[in-house]
Amino acid sequence: MNAFLTGVGVVVALELRQRVRTTAWYILLGVFFVVVGLVTLLLTFALGGFLGDAGGGVLSTIVYFVLLLGTLVTPALSGNAINGDRADGTLATTQVTQIGTGQLVLGKFLAAWVSALAFLVVGAPFIAVSVIIGGVSLDTALVSILVLAFELGVVAAIGVGLSGLLARPLFSIVVTYLAVAALSVGTLIVFSLAGIATQSTVTSESRYPEYMGVGDDDLVCSDWETSTYSIPRFDPYWGVLVANPYVLLADATPTHFDRSGTPDDLFGFVKVAVRQAQIAPDLNSVYDGCTEEGISDFQTSREIIESTVPGWFVGAAIHLVLAATALTAGWSATRTPARRLPKGSRIA
Amino acid sequence: MTDTGIDVIGVARSFGAVHAVRDATFSAPAGAVTALIGPNGSGKTTLMLMLASLLTPDSGSIRIAGQDPVADPRAVRAAMGWMPDVLGSWATLSVRATLEITGRLHGLSKPASAARAEELIDLVGLEPLAQQPTRVLSRGQKQKLSLARSLVHDPRVLLLDEPASGLDPSARAELRILVRRLADEGRCLLVSSHVLSELDEMADSAVYIEAGASVSAERIGRAKASLRQWRVRALDASAVPAAVEAAGVERDRIGRDHLGTLVSVESEAEAASVLTKLVGAGLAISSFAPVVGDLEHTYLDLSRGAVPAQPVIDGTEDLS
Repeated sequence: MNAFLTGVGVVVALELRQRVRTTAWYILLGVFFVVVGLVTLLLTFALGGFLGDAGGGVLSTIVYFVLLLGTLVTPALSGNAINGDRADGTLATTQVTQIGTGQLVLGKFLAAWVSALAFLVVGAPFIAVSVIIGGVSLDTALVSILVLAFELGVVAAIGVGLSGLLARPLFSIVVTYLAVAALSVGTLIVFSLAGIATQSTVTSESRYPEYMGVGDDDLVCSDWETSTYSIPRFDPYWGVLVANPYVLLADATPTHFDRSGTPDDLFGFVKVAVRQAQIAPDLNSVYDGCTEEGISDFQTSREIIESTVPGWFVGAAIHLVLAATALTAGWSATRTPARRLPKGSRIA
Repeated sequence: MTDTGIDVIGVARSFGAVHAVRDATFSAPAGAVTALIGPNGSGKTTLMLMLASLLTPDSGSIRIAGQDPVADPRAVRAAMGWMPDVLGSWATLSVRATLEITGRLHGLSKPASAARAEELIDLVGLEPLAQQPTRVLSRGQKQKLSLARSLVHDPRVLLLDEPASGLDPSARAELRILVRRLADEGRCLLVSSHVLSELDEMADSAVYIEAGASVSAERIGRAKASLRQWRVRALDASAVPAAVEAAGVERDRIGRDHLGTLVSVESEAEAASVLTKLVGAGLAISSFAPVVGDLEHTYLDLSRGAVPAQPVIDGTEDLS
C-alpha cells in the first residue's frame, strides 16, 4: 500500500511539473487574483453600504466565483490528462514502468484536483478579507469551502476519466465542458421547462367589501366570486436541482438569518429559492377581503427552509457516482496490456 | 525456452479486420543482439508493443526474461527496457529531470534515481544538455534520451525500435559500440531498424517479419544461399569483365554499375576462388566485396521471392 501511494505521489509530481506548472498557468492564476480582488472590493463597498456586516455576502460571492472559474478551467486542465499524453507519446513510456494503471489514473486525477484547488488558494486572501469585514459564520465558511473543493474534485475526476475513455483530447475536453454545463445550466433548464410544461388549474374564491352608501355601515361584502387560472408546477421537479453544483453548495451550507428571518448571505437566498420550489401551490385559494383571513400565511425565509427537506446529499451522491464511474471507465480503457484500443488511437 | 531472453511462439494480433501480426515465432537469446527486420507495415511495431507489455496478443505466448507480459506485466516491466519508435518526451522537463522521474516511476529511491540519471547522461553523452528542457532537443538527441530512459532500471532485456534513426554518423558509431557492450554484459537486445547495413554491424542474428509472420529458418537458409553479387574493382577497370569470364564465370552472371564490375556467385567459397583466379591472372584488384550486407541480401531476396504480399497494414501505424 505504501509503495502504491509512493507511485501515485510520483505521478502527481510529474503531472504538476509537466502539465500544470507552465507560464500560462501562472498568468491565469494572476488574472484570477486580480478579478477576485476587484469583485471583493466592489462587493465590500456595495454591501457595506446598507448592511452592517457584509462579510457573509462577500464570502459567499467569492466562493461562488471560485466555483464558476474552477469549473471553467478544470475541464481544460484535466480533460486531456491521459489522451494528451497518448498524443505526445509519453503515456506508453509511463506504462512500461512499475506504475500501474490505477496509480496513473489516480495520480492524474489528484494533480488535476490540486491544480483546480490552486484557484481556491489564490482566492484565500479575499476570503480572509471577508472574515475581517465581519459577519462571517465559521460553519458557513468551512462547509462552503469544503463543498467547493469537493465539486472541483468531481469536475477533475470527470475530466480525467473522459480523457482515458475518449481518444481525442479536444473531444474529451468538450465532453467534460458539456458535463459541467449539463449540471450547472442543464438542470436549471430541465427544471424550468418541466415546470412550465406542467400546469395546474387554481380555483380562486374571493370576496371584497363594497361600499353601498356613505356611512360605515354601508360596507357590505360582495358575493363570493370564483375564478380559475393556470400556474406552472415546479414542486414535482425540485429534485432535478439537487444535482446543480451551485444549488448543492447553497443547500449544504448552514444558513444564518437576521432578526426578520432573512438569510445573511448569497447561499441563503439561493437555498430559500430552491427550497420554495418544494412547496406545492395552494390550488384552492380562498381570499376573504371582509375578514383578514388569508393574508397571514406568509412565511419567512427561515420558516421556508425549516419546513422543507435538504437535497444536497442526494446531489453529492450523484456527483460522487459520476466521478467514480468516469474514473473507473477511464482506468478500464487505459489498462495495459491493452485488449482493445480506443477507436482512432495510437497506443504509444 | 530461456529465462533470460525473449521467446515468442505463434503470436497473433489483429485490429478489427486488419491482421497486423499473424504468426510470429522466434527466440532472442541473452548476451546477443537480435535484429528484427521487415518492410513497413509488416507488423514490427505491433510485435514490439506486445513484447513491451502494452498490447495483448490475440493468441500465442510471449516470455520476456521468463515472464509472461499478459499474466504479470509488472515483472516483465522490471526486466525489460523499451525504446519506442515515437519520440515522446515530457516537453517542459529537463533531460536530467526526465531520467530522474523515470527512475522514480520504476520504483527507485530519490537518491538512486538521481545517481542513475547522472550515469546515463554520461553514458549517452548528453552532459551539455542535461539542464535543457527536452523540447529543445534535436531528433538525434531525443533518440539518445530515449535510449537512456530505457536503461534507467538496468533491464536484462532491451527492445530498441529504430534506435539509429536521426543519429549522425558518429552517434551511430557510438550507438553500435554501446549496443555491443550491452549485449556483452549479458543482456538480450532486440533491435528493429530499416538501416540494414547498420544492423549488419551489430546484430548476431536476425528475425525476418513478412506480412505479419516470421519467416521460417528454411526460407532464410534458401535466401542466404541464393546468388549474391560481389563488386570487383581493379586499377584497369576495363580489363575486369574479360578476366572474370576467363576465371570461369558465365557471361550472364557478370554485370556493371558505376562503381565497378558485378559478379554473381553462389557462396563465399566461390567468391574466394574467383578472387584467387583474378589475382592469379595478374589483375591489380583494389576492392572485392559483397555489394550489399548479409542482412540486406537476405531481406531483398526474401521480399523478391515472397508470396504476393497480402494487403496487411501495420495496425499501430494505421491507427495513428
